[in-house]
Amino acid sequence: MGDEAAVQTTSIASGTRVRGSVVGDGDVTIDGNVEGKLAVRGDVTVGDSGFVSSSLEAVNVTVSGGVDGELRATGHVRIAAGARVRGTLTVEGLSIEDGALVAARVECNFELPKELEGTGR
Amino acid sequence: MASTIIGAGITIEGEVTAEEDVIIQGTLRGRLSAKESITIDQGAVVEADVDGSTAAVSGSVTGNVTAIDRVDLQNGARVVGNIKAARITIADGAQFKGHVDMDV
Repeated sequence: MGDEAAVQTTSIASGTRVRGSVVGDGDVTIDGNVEGKLAVRGDVTVGDSGFVSSSLEAVNVTVSGGVDGELRATGHVRIAAGARVRGTLTVEGLSIEDGALVAARVECNFELPKELEGTGR
Repeated sequence: MASTIIGAGITIEGEVTAEEDVIIQGTLRGRLSAKESITIDQGAVVEADVDGSTAAVSGSVTGNVTAIDRVDLQNGARVVGNIKAARITIADGAQFKGHVDMDV
């Protein structure tokens, strides 16, 4: 494929199923199924036909498919229209588009402005 | 044709089953079964039995390599395990230890 310095993006094609753990460095695109743990130092894109359960840890995450379980991102999570997300989201930033189905507990890591501090954390 | 590519920085521990091609550049421990071709690139480390329609190996495999059509061990390949396929090539520079079964 002639990719020089760049690490090839990992791609789990639709029709592929991984049962176990996927860890490491680099971006990952999932159009298939990952059952188990996915933890990478990179960005994860879950495509329309992709499905990840039960834990996903990454920098930035874009979901158009399904995620069921614990999602942790040190960056931003974008849940696109058509996505189905269930579980817990622990993120730095989050956006949910019209049409997405989300049933999750969300924890965003941010500081409350001083005026609101003390109103129960 | 959508290939599954396991990049160089990624380690998978578990079972991978694919409907199409699989290219491994990273590390896989467990089992790999593909309906189409399997390519294990130079630098890849596979500790697993792999089976596909064809297998082309340039990296390291500790496990059995089974293919319906053919297995090609290329220069740089290091395979410890058994190979089973209808056609097999082992290139100069490939290292191999195991049994070869061409179903004769």
